[in-house]
Amino acid sequence: MLETLKLAFEYFPDRVSEKSPDPAVREVALLLKQRPMSLFSRSIHVRMVDAGSPNDVELEEQLMMAPRVDAERFGVHFVASPRHADVLIVTGPVTQNMRVALIKSYEAMAEPRAVVAAGDGACTGWPFKGSYALAGDGRVESAVPVDVKVPGNPPDPYELLAGILKAGMIIDQKRKGKSK
Amino acid sequence: MTDETKKFSGIIQKSLKPGAIEAWEDRGGCIWAALRQGDLVPACKACMANGAIFDSGFVSSRPGGAFEVSYLFRVPAMGRMLILRAKGKEFAALSATVNAALWDERKMQDLTGLKLTGIPDSRPLIFHPESGMPDKHPVGGKALVRQKNDDYVIKGTGVEGEFELAVGPVHAGIIEPGHFRFHILGEQINKLETRMFYLHRGVEKSVEGKAAIEILPVIEQISGDESVANGVAYCHAVERACGLKVPERAEYIRAILMELERIYSHLSDLGGMPTDVGFTMSASRFAVLREDMMRLNRKVTGSRFLRGMCVVGGVSDDMTKEKLSIITSTLTDFENRLAHVERFTLESSTYLNRIFSTGAVPQKAAADLALVGPVARACGVSCDLRRALPYSAYPDAGFRESTEKTGDVLARFLVKLAEVKESVRLVNWLASHMPSGKLQCGPAVAESEEPERAGAGWAEAPRGGCAFLVELSEDGKIRRLACRTASFRNWRGAENLVPGDIVPDFPLINKSFNMSYAGTDL
Repeated sequence: MLETLKLAFEYFPDRVSEKSPDPAVREVALLLKQRPMSLFSRSIHVRMVDAGSPNDVELEEQLMMAPRVDAERFGVHFVASPRHADVLIVTGPVTQNMRVALIKSYEAMAEPRAVVAAGDGACTGWPFKGSYALAGDGRVESAVPVDVKVPGNPPDPYELLAGILKAGMIIDQKRKGKSK
Repeated sequence: MTDETKKFSGIIQKSLKPGAIEAWEDRGGCIWAALRQGDLVPACKACMANGAIFDSGFVSSRPGGAFEVSYLFRVPAMGRMLILRAKGKEFAALSATVNAALWDERKMQDLTGLKLTGIPDSRPLIFHPESGMPDKHPVGGKALVRQKNDDYVIKGTGVEGEFELAVGPVHAGIIEPGHFRFHILGEQINKLETRMFYLHRGVEKSVEGKAAIEILPVIEQISGDESVANGVAYCHAVERACGLKVPERAEYIRAILMELERIYSHLSDLGGMPTDVGFTMSASRFAVLREDMMRLNRKVTGSRFLRGMCVVGGVSDDMTKEKLSIITSTLTDFENRLAHVERFTLESSTYLNRIFSTGAVPQKAAADLALVGPVARACGVSCDLRRALPYSAYPDAGFRESTEKTGDVLARFLVKLAEVKESVRLVNWLASHMPSGKLQCGPAVAESEEPERAGAGWAEAPRGGCAFLVELSEDGKIRRLACRTASFRNWRGAENLVPGDIVPDFPLINKSFNMSYAGTDL
């Protein structure tokens, strides 16, 4: 019994509070306050497309879904197809060979939708800007419209989560604009 | 030159025409052999017949439209890396007889526009005709002429009733892009062809003409969870080319970083295998351990991926006593928790049933395809570069290699588990024996009168050995960088060894191989 309790605490998720020493955690707490959870709506379904990152942002996304950060408790859920997704996370820089796949993934999404560019490569094309193998300048913006940028080499799980929550707010606005 | 080296060169010389070997030089831990153009392939075969293990093939351009082709071999008899090179305009393909060299040579053709005679598969590898190709070949600058009908054709085995299953490039999970084409008969896979290079960013080309000391951020972008290993291998290549002597303390710190990287990287595989069979309880526990290790990384280096620490000539930041004690105390706690998760996972009979005998790699196939890393070690091929070609602080630390016999997913799981434990032991040993001294050697890459400076570097990354070849110009800039990661070797293993298994086993086998797509595609 004691062993089980001990284990439960060992795998307990982080506390997300506005007083946390980590600025990314504070930002997530603030965003959750601005866009509170509700029982049957407001979850965010996310699809990711790796358009050229060295796997680092993907590893951080995996950890975002793992028990410590546990984004699922805030309604963030990764889905298998862009057709099921509200938000597309794109990591970059966008390569020539991935450009078509990225555009097709974006076009498969239902409206309203939002795109998050995650990582320095996705935001600026760094450090391969000017390479023959990139699609244009390598920025995700040059291939599909971007709503939220999350810079970082790579951004940590809480920074990514904050980016997704911001994208959720943008989708809310887009939906409101449509219904008017 | 050591006796073993002399003996080996004698054997090779005997099996070739007189005068085939133009130079045989022992420099920077490697043997550099210059050969006549026509004797390159026979020399490679002679080396392999005498126990040399194929490592990789690289190409660089020479003035006057000529190219230099280099083949790297690991020679256990000499304990050295052997580099066979030849200059010329036309080459025969080694892959006509050595299957392992196929991707290396297809890549060479794409990079340079060379046509290697007798290559079994002449389709483009790194360029995708349907996505658009550059105007000229990246190495040498020859104009790229597109073939009239250059569709990428993937053929099946021709068995009646076989159908195709296409997967990717965008996958369902949180992973990188690649295209798999299964030719299946019911559930059984008859043939698998992988199409990679969706993440080809032109790493090798984009560093050309830049100062050798400035491009480490680019090297760290080759593959996320091998940042340190690639960085160290690259630094060793440059340091060997310039004859730099790195302080002992820096090498100890590098070794600690490499082992910390191996721990978090292996934890992601160890958690990935249970994930792919639906054993979430175990996967979550491994994920928590990984998150905690990455938080430790950030605490001691400022980067969760340990980036920015390794620089040419040493390391950029010190490992103080306080940091070392944080690492060792965290690792003590980590060991206990890992033992608990290990017991929990391996006590599950359903999990063991699922991974036992799945995706078995025969030892002979591993040797034929020159597989590296935990994949090769799981079927009894001893190939750990920390032991085979010692570098950094490993000769001091008394490294123990872990191997298994069966080559299935279970064996890979056990090898990786054993390696994590060995890494913990190594970090503790290195931390307690840390020598004092400087962090960097003097002027890193100085200008030199020497016109041709070249160096090779290697390291045992979490996924297996990687190799770098660096050519420097007189002013310390990169003339050519060639890189081969472990994933580039092992992808063909997955492609060749999956047939015979069933489709639902593929994700599991793929995860147990755990190859980096970005590291393959560069």
